[in-house]
Amino acid sequence: MGRQRCRLHFLKETIHIVEMIQLDDIKRMLQVQGYFTDDTVAMSVFLSMQLEKPLLVEGPAGVGKTEIAKVLAKAMDTKLIRLQCYEGLDATHALYEWNYQRQLLHLKMTEHNEQSLEEKERTIFNEAFLLKRPLLQAITQEKKPVLLIDEIDRSDEEFESFLLEVLSDWQITIPEIGTIHASKIPQVILTSNRTRELSEALQRRCLYLYIDYPDFEKEWTIVKHKTPGIDSKLAGQITRFMQELRTVKMEKKPGLSETLDWAKALASLHIDHLDRVVIEQTLGVVIKDWKDTREVQLSLGELMEKTGIIPRVDKL
Amino acid sequence: MNSRKTSLSANIIQFCRFLRQKGFTSGMHEESTALQALELIDFGNSKTFFEALKAVLCRNREQVETFGNLYNEYWKKLDLEIDSKEKTKEVRKSEFKKNGSFKSLKTWLYGNQNGETEETATYSTAERFSEKDFSAIHDDENEEIKKRIKALAKRLAAKLTHRYEQSPDIFLPDIRRTLRKNLRRGGELLDIVHKRPKRNRSKLVVICDVSRSMELYASFLVQFMYAIQQVYRRLETFIFSTSLQRVTNDLRQKSFTDVKHLLGNENYGWGAGTRIGESLNLFVEQFGRKLIDSGTIVIIMSDGWDTGGIDKLETSMRYIHSRAKMVIWLNPLSGYEGYKPEVAGMRTALPYIDVFAPVHNLESLKQLGKWL
Repeated sequence: MGRQRCRLHFLKETIHIVEMIQLDDIKRMLQVQGYFTDDTVAMSVFLSMQLEKPLLVEGPAGVGKTEIAKVLAKAMDTKLIRLQCYEGLDATHALYEWNYQRQLLHLKMTEHNEQSLEEKERTIFNEAFLLKRPLLQAITQEKKPVLLIDEIDRSDEEFESFLLEVLSDWQITIPEIGTIHASKIPQVILTSNRTRELSEALQRRCLYLYIDYPDFEKEWTIVKHKTPGIDSKLAGQITRFMQELRTVKMEKKPGLSETLDWAKALASLHIDHLDRVVIEQTLGVVIKDWKDTREVQLSLGELMEKTGIIPRVDKL
Repeated sequence: MNSRKTSLSANIIQFCRFLRQKGFTSGMHEESTALQALELIDFGNSKTFFEALKAVLCRNREQVETFGNLYNEYWKKLDLEIDSKEKTKEVRKSEFKKNGSFKSLKTWLYGNQNGETEETATYSTAERFSEKDFSAIHDDENEEIKKRIKALAKRLAAKLTHRYEQSPDIFLPDIRRTLRKNLRRGGELLDIVHKRPKRNRSKLVVICDVSRSMELYASFLVQFMYAIQQVYRRLETFIFSTSLQRVTNDLRQKSFTDVKHLLGNENYGWGAGTRIGESLNLFVEQFGRKLIDSGTIVIIMSDGWDTGGIDKLETSMRYIHSRAKMVIWLNPLSGYEGYKPEVAGMRTALPYIDVFAPVHNLESLKQLGKWL
């Protein structure tokens, strides 16, 4: 128990040094940047900032996982460094690479110099010849950056364990130069689409946040704020329709970003309410799979009935 | 276990232990993180307190979903114990059975006694949409079936060909590519390109009959489809009764519970009539071109009892046979002695099948490896 208290005491000291941000500030900060959120998200972001732990965000596509990082970078007025993961991504693409071509050219140019071999070697293995990839960039920043590691589930397991090492030690060793320690520990956001299970070790290192499709109230607020000039009746209809649409069994469920795209499209067409023709003509904005499109077209009548959009004919 | 502690930190630690019993990974590390987090927030506000603990202690989606209930359960229990000094009995986590017992396989082999279905297999024309309940299937059986299928999948993936492909790892030097790549640097060999033997990667397509006549084997089919999807990546799974459904994404869920839930969906037509011809035709039309090529092995699981058109079955089977590397038909009935493929559907399909094998017990699963 005594040890615990000692630890807490130590923590208190360090937090005074880190800028003291309150929980409510986070929510306000995100809102100012146009990101509407709930308590769970705000709390996770807050704790991840304060405890300096990476935040692992999971959820279906298009609910604003990546957006968190972007908004956070804006709110903290700092750089966003993005590492997009893909199958086959390896350490050289994430950390650093030597600029071979430049080194070679340099050697050719200095061929007839009187420099000794050691000296030449020292010059070409210099930071000037180093291509910094996202992870190295992130730890060599002057100001605490936001590091976004996007779609971590797409990378290989080897890369994941490599990442684990970087995330825990915050240092990178380059054999020719030496070890580079992080000047500022970056604010890390990892996103995943749950296509595969992440390793337990990585999960334990992070705080976890699951973002689901927004409920009606939240989605409606976001639609209204993100598409200025939209008819508020239309916004309501769009949101209700999307909420119902997600209950249909589909290959790819439309996310919040599809809702916003649709709202923007309809608003720029100066449409003030939904009807069958409008929906059928603009369905391509929301649904990106031909099978889903067919499915939705078949059940469009039922969907419209549920959402209270009565076809124009009935109105007359 | 849950005796009342007066200090907050002690309570938090006990809460973490409580969660650990419920399958959370809340160890020492999480306990201290939780305490650190509480330092930062206004824990007088119960909502904030809850959100903070949730943010720190949950590790995946399932945990996020159950956390609320567990939280209520624990702190309510504490409230009850304010005045009592009694300690509640320790709740022991039910022990996980180690040996996969193939319950569902056994039960239907020995007369199907678990009451899941007690009707005889037959076919029907009526479309019946009923939700299928797979809750009787136990998770522990999956491990064993998974192991068997893993062995199969390994064999599928391990076949090396005589050709080589570029390799990101250091393996064999690829002289031709190395020279080619370094030519533009004046022939100085700076980069060495590596190659490795190409793997023979067969794609698999599983098409599974879930109609009424196959109902006896339903739970085994689900396990089979789940297990094979888990271990083999290049796989597409379809189920059909009166029409065809693609279930690849449903099967890609992490937990078997989710899969059971998703597959039980009433729209999937469990136990409806059988229209093999129409369903296969639909498959050929919609996916045939895209999914079947000369490296694809098509596995069809059905008993061949059909009420649909025989012509369509024949044309579809001919198409599949002509494009695919191999067509395997697994018929649960053919495991019985004296079985002859005399059903009209089966007889029609037979000329276009490379391997006709039973899936009725573990041994037959092993046998399957011989053909792949």
